[in-house]
Amino acid sequence: METLLVEETFLDDDFLRQLMSVGEVDLLVGIPSHNNAKSISQTVTTVEDCFQQNFVRDRVVIVNVDGGSRDGTSEAVLNTPFAKSQNSRGLSSLRTLHRITTRYANQPSQGAALRAILAAADLLRARACAIISPETSNFTAAWVKSLLQPAYRESFDFVAPLYSRHKNDGLLARNLVYPMGRAVFGQRIRELNSGEFGFSGKLAGHCLNLDVWREEAVRTSPEAWMATSAICSGFRCCQSFLGPKVHSLTSSGTDIVTLIRQTVGTLFWCLESQPSFWMERTGSEPVATFGPEHELTSEPVRVNRKRIFDLFLSGAAELSDVLRSILAADTHAELQRIATEDDRKFRYKDELWVKTLYEFAASYHRAAIDRDHLVQALVPLYRGRIYSFLQEHHDSSPEDIEAHSENLCLEFERQKPYLVERWNAK
Amino acid sequence: MAGSPETLWYKDAIIYQLHVRTFCDSNGDGIGDFPGLMQKLDYLQELGVNAIWLLPFFPSPLRDDGYDISDYTAVHPAYGTLENFKAFLAAAHDKGMRIVIELVLNHTSDQHSWFHESRSSRDNPKRDWYVWRETDDHYQGVRIIFLDTERSNWAWDPLSKSYYWHRFFSHQPDLNYDNPAVFEAMWNVMKFWLEIGVDGFRLDAVPYLVEREGTSCENLPETHAIIRELRRRVDQEYPGKMLLAEANQWPSDVCSYFGESNEFHMAFHFPLMPRMFMAVQLEDRKPIVEILEQTPQIPDSCQWCLFLRNHDELTLEMVTDIERDYMYDEYAKDKGMRLNLGIRRRLSPMMDNDRWRIQLLNGLLMSMPGTPIIYYGDEIGMGDNVYLGDRNGVRTPMQWSGGWNAGFSAADPERLYSPLISNPVYGYQAINVESQKRSQHSLLSWMKRMIHVRKSSRVLSRGSIEFLKPSNHRVLAYVRQLGGEKILVVNNLSKSAQAVELDLRQYKGSVPIEMFGGNLFPRIGELYYLLTLGPYQFFWFRLRRF
Repeated sequence: METLLVEETFLDDDFLRQLMSVGEVDLLVGIPSHNNAKSISQTVTTVEDCFQQNFVRDRVVIVNVDGGSRDGTSEAVLNTPFAKSQNSRGLSSLRTLHRITTRYANQPSQGAALRAILAAADLLRARACAIISPETSNFTAAWVKSLLQPAYRESFDFVAPLYSRHKNDGLLARNLVYPMGRAVFGQRIRELNSGEFGFSGKLAGHCLNLDVWREEAVRTSPEAWMATSAICSGFRCCQSFLGPKVHSLTSSGTDIVTLIRQTVGTLFWCLESQPSFWMERTGSEPVATFGPEHELTSEPVRVNRKRIFDLFLSGAAELSDVLRSILAADTHAELQRIATEDDRKFRYKDELWVKTLYEFAASYHRAAIDRDHLVQALVPLYRGRIYSFLQEHHDSSPEDIEAHSENLCLEFERQKPYLVERWNAK
Repeated sequence: MAGSPETLWYKDAIIYQLHVRTFCDSNGDGIGDFPGLMQKLDYLQELGVNAIWLLPFFPSPLRDDGYDISDYTAVHPAYGTLENFKAFLAAAHDKGMRIVIELVLNHTSDQHSWFHESRSSRDNPKRDWYVWRETDDHYQGVRIIFLDTERSNWAWDPLSKSYYWHRFFSHQPDLNYDNPAVFEAMWNVMKFWLEIGVDGFRLDAVPYLVEREGTSCENLPETHAIIRELRRRVDQEYPGKMLLAEANQWPSDVCSYFGESNEFHMAFHFPLMPRMFMAVQLEDRKPIVEILEQTPQIPDSCQWCLFLRNHDELTLEMVTDIERDYMYDEYAKDKGMRLNLGIRRRLSPMMDNDRWRIQLLNGLLMSMPGTPIIYYGDEIGMGDNVYLGDRNGVRTPMQWSGGWNAGFSAADPERLYSPLISNPVYGYQAINVESQKRSQHSLLSWMKRMIHVRKSSRVLSRGSIEFLKPSNHRVLAYVRQLGGEKILVVNNLSKSAQAVELDLRQYKGSVPIEMFGGNLFPRIGELYYLLTLGPYQFFWFRLRRF
């Protein structure tokens, strides 16, 4: 009973009081933060610039949810000066621009942050919302508009971002999350797991009321869960092009193990929670896209491919027994075989990669071993795949890479019956 | 001149604005007149107003609703005689009501004898009473005010073959105040009416009196000098009389018309008016607080004049482009409702006949710092007719009853100076004084109570204002204070119920007494004071210590 009460009061009284003062809004921008004092003022200013430029008549609020910053992040949100007026009389926007802030916990949790923002959106009856990461240093007012506008004006419920990326950036999305998510859930959303996205008030209310908030997958990486929830519940999804994404210099970044645990773990959990939706689904459909569908750059960058390959070899060797319990025998054997290849000839081909992932997903379903350990066991294999990708595409043009990505997606779709078969195997 | 309580009467006034033509027709010719108006003084007294501002009633070709005057010292025959006016004035004074009349200083009608003489010959002694030039390239860049009808501030006179200057319609030539004889002539006009006993003048189009090359020809120092001299003479020879400026300018510019208490006694606060409408539509106090915080202090003896609607379009000159677009979209979706830079509608239709919103706006009008003006008919929620040209849609006959011609006139309906409002919502059968007098809950009865409460304390007419700024932006709260007396005003600008926590700690120990019902509210303590308000509800509390 006590637990229930705690769950029912996850918004503190002060935050409720602030929400009461704001009242109904048209647009809400949520900014989850943790020790972002240096960059968050610029984030707030940019969001308010967007409001002034594009939504001057609309009721707007910025909701900062903080995970226990000790550097005065929330104070920086509140103390950021309001934008100077555009006219000589000193008269600024039509309406009051609201900023409210709350501390949801003493430890950062993406899920808890999103939950607080969804609750605010629901209570304020926001029509369109966007989440903005203060760690993205180059975001502009146009980004905010691009995330809000489809939900606000075009009745979309989930707005995934599209970024301009270097061909070697976003490899997890390109090699795993996008093609697998597309094949499983049937919609071609490229960025299922991003720090920036938009959504409707209707979707916010729907997600808020799902009994998932204690799930580890939702707590650590709720973005992909929200996207797949939108797809599986029949909400209208779209993509909106933002531009190049650059992380803040102050951003700590996330190591690959944590990234895989959060992203792939959540993706597998989404499969687990929505089997009736995806099992019967074949192929995939494009979604409405605002702006260019993708944009790749290919200027030369240095990547330590040798180290990636070494980590693959050592990881695959160390985890050989674990991998044997996860993968089918022939898949495991094939992996063993390619691991013996000369690094210059090494290729982790699409067919094998898709098979590997589907077998991991099925094992996750069966909980053959501890699910977290299972997901972590994918890390060396992912390194192998990335090494292969970098080798193969060292000199590829953006068009070549895009063509390859499409082939990978089709391979995931082609092998989907295999996933279903493994999933349903006793 | 620091006024005595008696000379500061305008600070405590509740002004009722009307045109004699619109109010009551006593002789059945279809046009309102002074005898008819005199019959209705009891109504105005009962309403609680204590000053009447009369729109121009002078002889005029009536091409600008009387602002084109052809004789400053007579009464237009359609409205009665000078004797009728004097009788009306005496009756109003007997009832404790002051009378403020119009004085159009800037220009005359082109039918005025002064202009006839001036244009008759270049050698005429009155030639220099107007602003004549051989070419129309003087004062380049000066804005044109009536954009919808005028293309230049110069008009060609074929008679004297030269151009004359006009800031308004081309049939309204501007007087030339560089000629001292013009000033003396207008002072004689003022003296004429002051001798008869009027209590003040509303001076029309004040900023435009003097022209100078290379300037905007507005608010020039020479214009202020003219006003100062008029004021000096009024104070010296007719103490207690009031001058009200019509200067549609930003507060910082209008303030200069108060001078050092040596120009106008009062001036309209034009930028506040549209922002009251904006705030209610936006459900956000920001527009009101922002403009009042930008309004400079004015001398103690001076006062702002506040209004919601008047005989003109709701002017949107003193707003930003974004604000103007918003006002048009929200209040004048039909383009026929727009005129010049404004909206030609009455209060009630603008509020979509929502009683609560009408009351809230009147509550704001009566509780903001300044003297309120009620435009005739707005106290019963009269409608407008946007299909009549110019601003005539807000100048239709007063609706006294549901009977013949709304009780305005015994004439045949076709003979009325203007059609009556007769639609099912705002028509005289539905909206009229007689029916509203019969209900204690009518808008008219509510207005009477509101005016009564407003007049019960000088805090609202003379006190300072301090905004409280609670976190709920849909609530506009302020404390008016005069000496030790304080009134707390709390307005819910929203269409939904609101809770608000007010930081009233500096009034700790005071007991709020709601001024309409006289009920006590909990004593103010250390904690934030919580109030809940229904949609568009407002409270006025007297803060008392017991």
